[in-house]
Amino acid sequence: MNALALARRPLVYVLLSVAAFVSVFPFYWMVVGATNKSADIVTGKPSLGDSLFANAATFFATVDVARIFWNSALIAVVGSLLTLAVSSLAGYGFEMFRSRFRERLFALMLLLLSIPFAALMVPLFVMISQAHLTNTYAAVILPGIASIFIIFYFRQATKAFPAELRDAARVDGLKEWQIFLYIYLPVMRSTYAAATIIVFMANWNNYLWPLIVLNTADMKTATLIISALTSAYTPDYGMILFGTVLATLPTLIIFFLLQRQFVEGLLGSVK
Amino acid sequence: MAQAKLGRSEQVTGWAFVAPALVLLGIFMIYPIIWSLWMSFQVGKGMNLSFGGWANIIRLTKDPVFIRALVNTCIFFVVQVPIMIVLALLFAVALNDPKLRFRGLFRTAIFLPCVTSLIAYSTLFKSMFATDGVVNNALIWLHVVSGPIPWLQDPFWAKVLIILAITWRWTGYNMIFYLAALQNIDRSIYEAARIDGIPAWARFTGITIPMLKPVILFTTIISTIGTLQLFDEVNNITIGGPSDATLTLSLYIYNLTFKFMPSFGYSATVSWVIVVIVAILSFLQFLIARDRRPAA
Amino acid sequence: MNRFAPWRRALGIAVAGISMITASAALAATTVNVWCWDTNFNGAAMREAAARYNRDHPDVTINIDVSMSQDDIRQKLQTQLLANNTQGLPDIVLIQDDVAQKYLQSFPGAFVPLGDSIDMSQFAQYKVAAATHDGKAYSLPFDSGVTGLFYRTDYLDQAGYKAADLQDIDWDKLIDIGKTVKAKTGHNLFGLDLNGDGLIRIMMQSAGAWYFNKDGSLNIVDNAPLKAALTAYGKIWQADIVKPVSGWTDFTGAFTSGDTVGTVDGAWMVGTIKSKPDQSGKWGVAPTPKLAGVDGATHYSNEGGSSWYVLSSGPGKDAAIDFLKTIWAGDKDFYQKILVGQGAVGTWLAARDGEAYKSSDEFFGGQPVWANFSDWLAKIPGVDYGTFTAEVDAAVVAQLPAIAKGGSVDDALKAINDQAQQQMQ
Repeated sequence: MNALALARRPLVYVLLSVAAFVSVFPFYWMVVGATNKSADIVTGKPSLGDSLFANAATFFATVDVARIFWNSALIAVVGSLLTLAVSSLAGYGFEMFRSRFRERLFALMLLLLSIPFAALMVPLFVMISQAHLTNTYAAVILPGIASIFIIFYFRQATKAFPAELRDAARVDGLKEWQIFLYIYLPVMRSTYAAATIIVFMANWNNYLWPLIVLNTADMKTATLIISALTSAYTPDYGMILFGTVLATLPTLIIFFLLQRQFVEGLLGSVK
Repeated sequence: MAQAKLGRSEQVTGWAFVAPALVLLGIFMIYPIIWSLWMSFQVGKGMNLSFGGWANIIRLTKDPVFIRALVNTCIFFVVQVPIMIVLALLFAVALNDPKLRFRGLFRTAIFLPCVTSLIAYSTLFKSMFATDGVVNNALIWLHVVSGPIPWLQDPFWAKVLIILAITWRWTGYNMIFYLAALQNIDRSIYEAARIDGIPAWARFTGITIPMLKPVILFTTIISTIGTLQLFDEVNNITIGGPSDATLTLSLYIYNLTFKFMPSFGYSATVSWVIVVIVAILSFLQFLIARDRRPAA
Repeated sequence: MNRFAPWRRALGIAVAGISMITASAALAATTVNVWCWDTNFNGAAMREAAARYNRDHPDVTINIDVSMSQDDIRQKLQTQLLANNTQGLPDIVLIQDDVAQKYLQSFPGAFVPLGDSIDMSQFAQYKVAAATHDGKAYSLPFDSGVTGLFYRTDYLDQAGYKAADLQDIDWDKLIDIGKTVKAKTGHNLFGLDLNGDGLIRIMMQSAGAWYFNKDGSLNIVDNAPLKAALTAYGKIWQADIVKPVSGWTDFTGAFTSGDTVGTVDGAWMVGTIKSKPDQSGKWGVAPTPKLAGVDGATHYSNEGGSSWYVLSSGPGKDAAIDFLKTIWAGDKDFYQKILVGQGAVGTWLAARDGEAYKSSDEFFGGQPVWANFSDWLAKIPGVDYGTFTAEVDAAVVAQLPAIAKGGSVDDALKAINDQAQQQMQ
């Protein structure tokens, strides 16, 4: 190791530490806020308070916590799994089996990705209501399963998937779906990990569409309910921040669990 | 790199892999897209709509608020997307070093902004960047500035603040894609390069960047679209102000649909402007990517 | 193949999840669904009303849904009405007065004209005017946003001012007082947000004007109250007695933290001010300052406030109308209860004779604040908010930074007029 490399190492630590501090501070503030009274939060008190349990009690008394977290979890888990399955298949398909027609189709899909959802919301709602699906979990989940965003991601990531692996598998007599399941899936584990984090977060935080298709309070998600608390004339910020901390935990846990997939060089281990 | 012609059975397999997604997209997108295209030719308010031909497009060219929103949106993505992509890439590469200590900690920290609730972070950003907030106090204390910066009151600084806010929130998000992609690069390539005495920077530009190109293209397009559809930050931190300095196309669409007397036709037209911009940009990006494709 | 078991299990859950989806429960004819947005304010008032109604009508179930914010309700209502699907919409919905005309005009036939079954002359006329479309009154008026000048008596004391000094003043006088208070105590008069024009609207309505003429056309350039309001607004900033704030939290934080002297706002701000019990006895409320030199200028104005609307698609609409008529237009005691409990100043005029309205409040130094507010609210000039208030608001807000910097008000009026004209097409 040369002198330059030695000098660079501390610099990397310093820069990462600064970035980490800047990144964590608002999260820290959110957590600290959950322990303070609303009036103190408004005036910007930065230190831990003694109102954590009071805030928790208010939160549990104000909203049906078990219900909204169950709704959120069901929508996020089922929605994410279906999205990952359907969209990764498509991303793999578009990249591995290229044809002129499918390339055109893919280019068109990318364009459609840029249409703001607000422009599609009303007709989509008409369809869902004509199918008598309003106020169901299916109404929230179905339109998002084929995610152009995730298809695009898998297609781009698949470009790093070594063709020789597939060819070897074909020589061994594996069928195409077997190659996808037994070769591609394990090799692309880190890609799936990233996509899971992203998709779960998107489903968990989804706002406008669930708001439009869900009618009754017992069907609504944590994101919807907690966000509505802020519109009170005198919002109880302590209670709200407690709720937001709680609502952040699932995504954070998913991230904690899956970030391990970014450690080992997986491709090497397969070879 | 001539594309090998696919056999009949491969064609069938190819369709089979993409079929579930295509069927779902067909069901859930074709009708809404046709509806929204049709709407973009309708004029009128609320339920009183009539066919207006090109009226909405003519209205666009004469609408100073639309022009302001368009210019702001373009400034945001031209300035912000490159900064964020470069930062995310640097963080990912630094955090991919197996010898680095506290990697998990740093990774989680840098990822935290995108899970921090919008309520918490917009409230905090407003208070931190207030005239007498911590940021101004720190800058004055460090003698970077002589008086407080009007972050939320001045059109220029409000734009800077929004750029800071979205960079803060989405850099860690983009980093995830790079971290995942870096795992798919064969470590032995780096080992070989290191043994050959190729310096770190050259390894970064010569190996990492080319290997990550598909994912860089992906994050660039996604971030561009994300910035073109920028809504949360401007709606929660600056409400598009001061003087519409941070009004974006998406916020304008929202206003036209929900805040103002609803004009769905016109708001659909503004939505399609975003599609047209993305069409042009994607075309350019693909062109550039194609020109630089290595002769592999 | 064990490593793929989780996947298969997950798919199993996915399928189960979809089949578990349950259809929404069928509504019985005697169920009345209500949407409002603040569980401690309008939600609590509605719960009290429902409990009272159920004493004599146990067969009617009133469901009050506060799980949506006001913006959520607007988005959902509008999307569903536009998609022509009213399934899941409530029987009664709360709508803020200044956006009501937009809905009444955009979605003809969607709401029941309540004036046909309830006598509207019993309510504050400015509230009824806000919900009248084509000669029919559509809403059951709820709370008043009657405005007052909320101020810290201790800061004014230190600067040598008494409560009497704030009676019957105009904005110029208030600015002078603000300057003196700042010089002696260091406290700014107000926190103001350049992204909101609430203060301008308060000033304008206090002189009986709004952005529009009778026929709905724009009234900007020759609108004397608006011009006077923008001028006064510019002077306030120029006097250097403003703390710039951004957003609701920052705005309310400015005066609840003791940083600024006070605020001019609707009566519903009382709850927020009282959220700091340690400031009890240090607050006072004075009438809204007048616009100087404007015909029709008064000390009475309004900010915010909302009303109940009955949807004609609601299966429980008849029960809903009877409920509103019985309690909201007939129960004096109910209005005392929500005044004390929620600080909700009702606009049913008969409520003013009740006990609660006459009581004084120690938080405000023993002032009879509610009696004052209810006196003022009967004198608020009625204005037609029209259908394009949000468009003109946006145009006004775009000019505020220039005005705050001392720019020409005439130029601003012209720019507002141009932008609003363009947006209203």
